Amino acid sequence: MKRVRLWPRSLVGQIILLVALALFVAQAINFALLLRERTRIELTSQTAPAVYRIVDALENRDRRNFDDRDRRARVQFFTARPAVSGRARPDVERRAQVMFADVGLDVRSVRVVEDRRPPPMRGWDNFRRRADRAMAQDRPVGRLVMVAEYEPGKWALTQSRLNGSSPRFGGWLVWQTLILYAIVLAPLLWIGRRLARPLRQLTGSAEQFARTGLADPVEERGPGDVRQLTMAFNAMRSRIIAMLDEKDRMLGAIGHDLRTPLASLRVRTESVEDEAERARMSETIDEMNRMLEDILSLARAGRSSEPAQKVDLSALADAVVEDFVELGSPAEMAESERAVASVRPQQIRRALRNLIENAIVYGERAHVSVAREDGAVLLMVADDGPGIAEDRMAEMMEPFTRLEGSRNRETGGAGLGLALVRAIMAEHGGTLRLANRAQGGLEASLVLPA
Amino acid sequence: MSERPHLLLVDDERSIREPLAQYLSRNGFRVTAVENAAEARTRLNANAIDLVILDIMMPGEDGLSLCRHIRETSEIPVILLTARSEETDRIVGLEMGADDYVLKPFSPRELVARIKVIFRRVAAGGQRVTAPDGATYAFAGWLLKTQERTLVDEEGVSLPLSTAEYNLMLAFATRPNQVLSRDQLLDITQGREANAFDRAIDNQISRLRKKIEPDPKNPILIKTVWGGGYTLAADVRKL
Repeated sequence: MKRVRLWPRSLVGQIILLVALALFVAQAINFALLLRERTRIELTSQTAPAVYRIVDALENRDRRNFDDRDRRARVQFFTARPAVSGRARPDVERRAQVMFADVGLDVRSVRVVEDRRPPPMRGWDNFRRRADRAMAQDRPVGRLVMVAEYEPGKWALTQSRLNGSSPRFGGWLVWQTLILYAIVLAPLLWIGRRLARPLRQLTGSAEQFARTGLADPVEERGPGDVRQLTMAFNAMRSRIIAMLDEKDRMLGAIGHDLRTPLASLRVRTESVEDEAERARMSETIDEMNRMLEDILSLARAGRSSEPAQKVDLSALADAVVEDFVELGSPAEMAESERAVASVRPQQIRRALRNLIENAIVYGERAHVSVAREDGAVLLMVADDGPGIAEDRMAEMMEPFTRLEGSRNRETGGAGLGLALVRAIMAEHGGTLRLANRAQGGLEASLVLPA
Repeated sequence: MSERPHLLLVDDERSIREPLAQYLSRNGFRVTAVENAAEARTRLNANAIDLVILDIMMPGEDGLSLCRHIRETSEIPVILLTARSEETDRIVGLEMGADDYVLKPFSPRELVARIKVIFRRVAAGGQRVTAPDGATYAFAGWLLKTQERTLVDEEGVSLPLSTAEYNLMLAFATRPNQVLSRDQLLDITQGREANAFDRAIDNQISRLRKKIEPDPKNPILIKTVWGGGYTLAADVRKL
């Protein structure tokens, strides 16, 4: 199962996600504080009218001609402590105490609760709602209930409406956050792209270089530090290329210088009278030349100038085997389906030749076949030999390792064959696989990405 | 050509030049050995040279440059000696108009065999076979790339050829719509790698047909000519 990745891998993605998260948290805190402040202001602003209503009602309580019924109705009197429910507001209570004291009314206790249950709607509210639809949303959603014990055993109660936080407040917050995002994230995104593009190019160039040993210099652009990084990379690239070129030149010179005396020796062997001796000498010279060839190829591995192209690997294997058959070598090719992959054909030919040579030398006979296996093409060379002990498999691929116990010890070469094959495979993004066959013998496979 | 063909051997390495000149002399050639291109030019002007054996890597004017000069001024066959096995060298050498090349270290016997093949071809009035290297031939939806020794099909997928298949294919591609007898094919294809072509021509023909014919049982490209041999029934364009 593929895990859903919430945390982006790229630098810019991470920065943007972090900034967005931070902005969101800041906005949320901001919002919470604002909401608290708003509620507090609202509550305290309701304190004074409640206090004055009670004071007013108490002063006019005894007047018979108290005609303002509405005003009187807003304060109710009790001779038993009225039951109120809701959240206690000691802050408002303290404020109310101070206010009562200021107007010279000595109250024994003040109790204030905030009742968030919607109050029963009165006619006046309904009228107001009908008159002004816009006000509908501001419908009170809570009450502030104040109970003052103005004389022992006598209580006055008044209620004020509290406006709930309007839904608009939330919408406003969303908009504000979005606008903030736009303002902050747009330039961030721009900077991010400015950063990411040269970095991506750098990565691409480095990868290409690692794979092929060739890459164009990266264009120097972007912010200063990225530009410096690019410059440093380009300088490194030039230096490595110069070193590799130097190595190639040196190897070319070594090759030439060693082949010339070999050629001289080879020509001179023809003047040796003894036929058998002459044959042995020229064999030795050929051997030395093959070793030299292998060493030079291995040293040059990874710097191929040959372009990759689509090749039918079955046809390639068939052609290589046919060349062996032409020379009378015990090699055979199994009928194989067309298997196309992008490779450097000369190199794959070389790798396959090495495997077939090994199979013939160590395993009597080479059975070559081509198969497809989940997204890869396998070129398999099986032999009829004794195979390789499992614990020596890895060792076999190291340069200069040779199988002892080979019956053809004198034709073992320099032990570079498999090392060269492995280098060629590495250049193709493939692998060399060695395994003992169930029915005996070794099977060496070139596994190439199709 | 006199009884003993006159060879001009150009190599700056004394250790190769002298024993090789001796060996060639023992094998029935008249040999003039020189150590640089300038001297070689002098000899070419003064003597009737039948074939030049030329080292590529020489101080001063190199072998390729001299080879080009020889090709521009005469029809004298050239065999290049090269110490480098890089593919590019082969192609460059052959585009300069060399008839053949041998890689150092080489078997002197093989060199003599190749010299003889060239003389036989010259005597028979045959054309130079070597020019094609580096070229591409197009026929019936196929490309024959001589540099890589592969056929490329219409989808752009390369079908590598064995040495023998390649030599045969090249023989057909350079002589389209000509009837080639088995002997002719043997002669043409043996020019380069004499010992690599031991199996019967018919066998190679059937291998080639399997690769390029839509239906190998009823060949329409490489046709059998009764009593005559084979012919490539297609128009070939050299790219």
